[in-house]
Amino acid sequence: MSANGHQQREIVKETIYKACLNLDEQKWGDWIDQCDKDFKYSVTTYSHEIRRDLTYLILKYKELKPYFDLLPKHNTDHSPIRRHATVYSVDMADDGKSADAVTSFLITQEMFDGINAPLDSGENRLFLVGKYHDKFKVDGDKVTFAEREARIFTRRLDKGTHWVF
Amino acid sequence: MPARNHKQWTATPDLELGEWVDSRIYSDEEIFEEELEKIWKKAWIPLCHESELPEPYDFRTAIMAREPIIIVRGPDNKIRAFLNVCPHRGMAIERRPSGSFAPAQPSGNPKHMTCMFHAWQFDMKGNCVDIPREKEGYQDRLDKSGQGLRALRCEVKYGGFVWVCLDDKTPFTVESWTAGAMDCVKDSLDEEPLEIFHYHKAIIDCNYKLWHDTNSEFYHDYMHYHNRVTGFDDGYFQRECSAFDNGHVNVGTFTVNYEEYDVAEDRGTLTFPHLPPNNWYMVDMFPGINFNLRGSAVRFDLMTPLSANQVMIEFRGFGLKSDSAKDRADRIHHHNTIWGPFGRNLHEDLIGIAGQGVTMMPRSEPRRILHGRHEGLYIHDEVGMRHFYDVWGKWMDRLPSDPTQKYKQGKVVGPEMPPAKGLSTFPGKAAAE
Repeated sequence: MSANGHQQREIVKETIYKACLNLDEQKWGDWIDQCDKDFKYSVTTYSHEIRRDLTYLILKYKELKPYFDLLPKHNTDHSPIRRHATVYSVDMADDGKSADAVTSFLITQEMFDGINAPLDSGENRLFLVGKYHDKFKVDGDKVTFAEREARIFTRRLDKGTHWVF
Repeated sequence: MPARNHKQWTATPDLELGEWVDSRIYSDEEIFEEELEKIWKKAWIPLCHESELPEPYDFRTAIMAREPIIIVRGPDNKIRAFLNVCPHRGMAIERRPSGSFAPAQPSGNPKHMTCMFHAWQFDMKGNCVDIPREKEGYQDRLDKSGQGLRALRCEVKYGGFVWVCLDDKTPFTVESWTAGAMDCVKDSLDEEPLEIFHYHKAIIDCNYKLWHDTNSEFYHDYMHYHNRVTGFDDGYFQRECSAFDNGHVNVGTFTVNYEEYDVAEDRGTLTFPHLPPNNWYMVDMFPGINFNLRGSAVRFDLMTPLSANQVMIEFRGFGLKSDSAKDRADRIHHHNTIWGPFGRNLHEDLIGIAGQGVTMMPRSEPRRILHGRHEGLYIHDEVGMRHFYDVWGKWMDRLPSDPTQKYKQGKVVGPEMPPAKGLSTFPGKAAAE
């Protein structure tokens, strides 16, 4: 890999980790700013229970802002979720204009108001496990998310969540 | 009245018998065990859908009143149910949630159910067809022909749902058990084959009946921003609740205005056979099943009571088997926007019952839980819960408002009255806007 290719690969990694921070801190607008106008987000899984690939959520770029804007109008479990992520692979396209990356992640939930606050607030629970399969547009030093598939391995999701991960 | 002292707090409410229940029915372990015996081991329960086992030798496992169940499709294409228990030493014959017996297993032959422990093998009709070293061990004292699995009553009904009953002597067929409650949706479900497209589960620390209550009453729609903006019109308040024998209830339809929600879209172009566009029927089956035919998708909730204070709820979604790829994707999107684990409404509903579970832990102080809203059997009338608990009381021979007493009839239906009008009755209207 050329020095330039190595540098771009590092920028892709930094973009993924920056997205994790933005989502951890619920900086929804900053996360949207990392996404291309054609960005598509999905949460998928394979269910061993019914032996099918499932899609749990799909959001297009234009739906992201209204989706987040409506959150305060919904009753919700405000327990913050955070991710521990490790970028496993970054594959740059030969022309250097796109990249694919696979990132393993765990989502933990800091219990706040979701169940029984006097008992469980302050506790962290494992919420779900998955891998991000990301596609990027690369233009020199500028890297934007073109697509994110959050492929999860958890189907016991209890109350679920309104937060995007 | 100001906040109440203990005597006032625990006093009988100013309502009639049948309009409230005692919280011990949601928390008492003895009552829970009795429910498993008297209700859950007697009722017909749809445990899965035929599309979960589409090919011969496919299987699905489940739990019903603590009993392990296996459902298999035979080479004759017939679906049968058995206890998932080896008659030898009680090992669970199949450990996976689903799969196929067509391939060979480490301990067994293709096209057989095989207990991995000692390799006893069974065919898809539950016959024991092989006991390793049978003669050497049992001589003539025991023969495999007498060692079949425990067969269970099983019917495939209403759009391909697989109903199972643990009671061999049940006087009901599935049709007589449902007692007309499914009539409002059966044409839509039966017109052409359905296919499952969604599955996830929740285990919530609350009594199973609290989820059934939530599915049975719509007064909690105030909790959902989505419902407030898409539904609270005159048509919504004209939805009628109907009670049926055996504790079932259904809620009539109206037209949902999906376009009023910013992230939703109209669903009128994609619906179910015989269902007008954007309409919505709900059927709550005693003792813990819910069918929800809404616009372009069917949702099916199955409750599995785990303890007095814990329930597993499995959520399934269905489209038509004939769906094009685009139609299927649209159905999935519509379903998940509201009912998916990351959708808008299901999360809120589950927060509601989790909070009830907190206040009704086993051995917590008994409280009065009110089911006394009468609105002429229209949408916010709590007749669904009153009817459920009246039937529950008969099955249990306990009085829901004082479960230490024997059952007696309470008030289920209130006075006739016209439906309410639109959003003007919503106390949080300003906040919603």
